[in-house]
Formats: sequence, C-alpha cells, structure tokens
Amino acid sequence: MSAAPASSAPPTTKATTADKSVDSTKETKPAAALEEDDEFEDFPVENWTQEETEVPGDNTHLWEESWDDDDTSEDFSAQLKEELKKVEASKKR
Amino acid sequence: MDPIFDDFRKGYAEWDGYKVSQTLTPIPPASNPQKLYNFFRSTNFATVQKDFKYQLVYNTTPFKLPADEANGWVEVYHAYWKAVGEILNAENAPRSSTKGAWIKVYDSWKELINALIRGYSNHGFEAWTVPCLYVAGKFLRIFAIKADEGTGTGNGAITSFQDDFNPEAEKNEKLEDAARQLNRIFQICLADREPLDESRKWGIYNIINLLFKTYFKLNSISLSKNILKAIQAYRGDMPTLESFPKAHQVTFKYYIGVIYFLEENYVESEKNLTEAWQLCHKDAVRNKELILTYLIPCHLLTTHTLPTLALLSPYPRLQKLFLPLSRCIKKGDLAGFDAALVAGEDEFVKRRIYLTLERGRDIALRNLLRKVFVAGGFEEAKDPAAPAVRRTRIPVAEFGAAISIGSKETMDNDEVECLLANMIYRNLMKGYIARERGIVVLSKGGAFPGTGV
Repeated sequence: MSAAPASSAPPTTKATTADKSVDSTKETKPAAALEEDDEFEDFPVENWTQEETEVPGDNTHLWEESWDDDDTSEDFSAQLKEELKKVEASKKR
Repeated sequence: MDPIFDDFRKGYAEWDGYKVSQTLTPIPPASNPQKLYNFFRSTNFATVQKDFKYQLVYNTTPFKLPADEANGWVEVYHAYWKAVGEILNAENAPRSSTKGAWIKVYDSWKELINALIRGYSNHGFEAWTVPCLYVAGKFLRIFAIKADEGTGTGNGAITSFQDDFNPEAEKNEKLEDAARQLNRIFQICLADREPLDESRKWGIYNIINLLFKTYFKLNSISLSKNILKAIQAYRGDMPTLESFPKAHQVTFKYYIGVIYFLEENYVESEKNLTEAWQLCHKDAVRNKELILTYLIPCHLLTTHTLPTLALLSPYPRLQKLFLPLSRCIKKGDLAGFDAALVAGEDEFVKRRIYLTLERGRDIALRNLLRKVFVAGGFEEAKDPAAPAVRRTRIPVAEFGAAISIGSKETMDNDEVECLLANMIYRNLMKGYIARERGIVVLSKGGAFPGTGV
C-alpha cells in the first residue's frame, strides 16, 4: 500500500469524519484564541476537488484598475483652478 | 479492553493512517466525552505496560503485529496514557496550579513524540502511519502555548528574584522547545530513504506547516528559511508539492507567500498567494481572508490594481482594512490617504502590511497627477482631421496646486519637482522636467504608462 495520501478518496473521507468530531469539542478553545493572529486554520478535510475551490477563471472581476476616470469631471478642473489662484495669491503676498 | 485499541486495530487492518492517528488525539469525541477518562481508568501505573502489551503484542485477533513494531506501539500508548492522565489533571486543576499542570502536560506529550520518533527510527513503524505525527505535532504546539501562557501570568514572583531573569526567553520556553521537537520530526520524514511509495516524505509538508506556524508565533520567521533550504537540497527525491493533499499545499503556499511578502519580494509573494487562493477550499472563509490580507497589498505594488467590491463583499474585516485606502488611491486623494493610513495604523502594523501599504501613496499620487493631465484637455489642433493630442506641457505649479488640494499647506516648487522626479524614476510617469521654464514635458505616447493616457 502506498503511503501517499494523494487524492485517493477513502482515507480522506475517514479523516474528515474523524476531524470533525475533534472540532466540535471544547478543546478547540486554544485554537480559537490563536485566531487573533495571522494563524492559518486547519482545514476540516485533507483534500478536495477542483470544484470545491475558487474558480481560477473567475478572477478577472476581482481586481480593478486603481484610477477612476469617472471622477475626472469638471469638478476637478474647477477645484484645480481655484487652488492655483490661491497658491499664486499667497506667493504675491 | 478499550475502544482505543479496537480503533487502532481497525485502522491498522485497513492501513488507514488517519484512523490510527485519531486514537492518539487528546480530545474525546463528542459522541463519547468520557472516552479519555475511561481509557485512563482502564489500567493503572503498575500494570499499564503489561496490559498494553497484552493488547498489542499478544492479542492475535484478527492479526498479529510484528513483535518489534508492536513493542514500539506499546511505548507510544504508554506515553499517551500518561499524557492523558496529565491532561485530565490539568483540566480539573484549581486555578492556582494550572500553570504547573500544563507544563506537565507538555512534558508528557513530548514523551509521546519521543516514543513515536523511536517507533519510526527503531521499531519499523510504517510510513502510512505518519498522520500520527501530524496529530502529535499539532497538539505539542497547542500544549506548549498553553504551558507558556501560564508562565507569563502567574508565579512571576519566584523567578523575578533571579538576576538573569529574561522575561522574553521565559515567555516562550515551551514553544521554542516544541519547535525543536517538530524539527526532529521534520528530519525523520525528510531523511527517509525508503522508495517514495512507502516514504515518510509524504508527511513533510504537514510538519513544515506546523513549523511555520510555530516560527511565526515565535517571531522567528527567518528560521523558516532553513526548512526551505533543507527541502531544496532534497528536491530530487521528493514528491512534487502538487501531489500532496490540498490542505498541505494551500497552507504551505500561504506561509511561503507571507515569507516572501515580508522580504518585500512581491512578485514571488503574489505568485504563491494567488496559487493558495485558487486552491483554497471555498468554504474556508477565514483562511481566504488571511490570504487576501497579503495578496491585496501585493497586487497594489505589482500590478497597481485594487480589489473590487465583489472580491471584498464576503469579508467585512477586509473591507474595513482596505476600502478607505482604496477609495483615496482611486481619487488621488493624498490627504485622505495619509489620514486612512494613520487611522488603520495599529491594525496594519499588527498584520505586518503597514510598510507595503505606505508605498501605495505613490499610486495615489500617480492618479492625482494623471487627473491633472486629463483635466488639461487637448492641444488646439492645427489640422482638424488629425487625432486630438493632449496638452503635454504642464506647469509644475499646476501639479503643485493639485497636491496641496485638501491639505492646508502649499508645497514648494522644489519639493513638487522632487515628487515628480520620483514618479518619473519609478516609471509611473513618462517625461522630463524643464526646470528653467518651470514646466513638465510629458510623453506624447503614454504619459502615464499602463493607464490608457
């Protein structure tokens, strides 16, 4: 028998049920206390299928450009002119 | 005799390492909360070794273990039995003596680790049982933290009389020891020379992840590098990371990503964190939140992109962390950016992302300068048929005025020029400063690279 846990389902599912019983008991308190840190949590199962992950192709709408062209309205031009006048006025003084 | 040995025999008969490992958990199942208590009461100090020997060595139904191996397991369960006694004792100890009780738990659990390590090195324990090391290692860390917690609070009076009392070293004494024990487990997995099919190397990433967690907790993150060097040296006879269970892969990639992040290697960090994100179980919300905590600042610096609301919507904590900054970056609002950075400082520092986010100010500034450029409109066209050309000569004063919007002080032209030169140097803006004329001449073909203008 191979020691490889690999993706062979049976040991995985067994581990799942066993681990779940662990999680539902009171002794998980120390783990919960550690959650305040950046501590990565134990997964309740060892392995899972591609369907149970985030879909990689879905990532496009998750990030957007950092600038906002809608905001470049007349408002900003007016604001900028106002500020320029103020700056120039303060320099003349 | 005891259900623990029934489970052991069943797991052993099926070569199911996870099932065997569950017989060594220090937590009783919800269905049988008295399991540990009953196990401990099933024998006593005088006869425990004989009783367990009977169970594991002489009992031949439904199969007989090889004698040497069976004796190794007797030692393991003997140590486990003693540790269970200490755990039951610690859980019922009066508050005044919990500290000492958890230290005893830690020390007895360490004996279990020793018995297991001896089992693998001397008694021929088979590689498929490595999940026993996962369980033993996982709780060694937890008990170490518990033992150290007690040290920090109570009983300081005695130790403080010593001149060389070092509160820092004292505080993590057991956890540091746990790191050493985990390292021993790491070594017996790594150095296994059996063919891969029957190798303890399949346990390596689980143990590495336990070590990473321990090093992070101890703030000795640099020690993780030794581990990486060691597996690098063995990479020829190691299964590829992709062939390990996803739980091991994702945790490993997360920690590697964070390690690179802290070294400011954002490209490698982004690569590992993105892979962790894509492989992560979709219901593991807290873990995904942790991955994004570092992936978002990475994206800001590598590709200058921000998370969408869609990405953040399942994570209120991340919204609180990143949305105020994101809004200011988008608007090119420098004063707002600085205020948001101050407002979130404690949390950013705690997450170790402050310095990275601070560098996001460059992107906010780029966006502001870009707005000035866009607001400048187009040159008067000599040939109405030709495509419109943006005004590319912009007075330094205009940029200066934009920077001072929202802040009360105005900035010297020299200072403005300095900021602009920095932008050009970082390739966030293309052009040159004509100092004698006080204008900036921007590139006609892409003044702000990658932003469409």
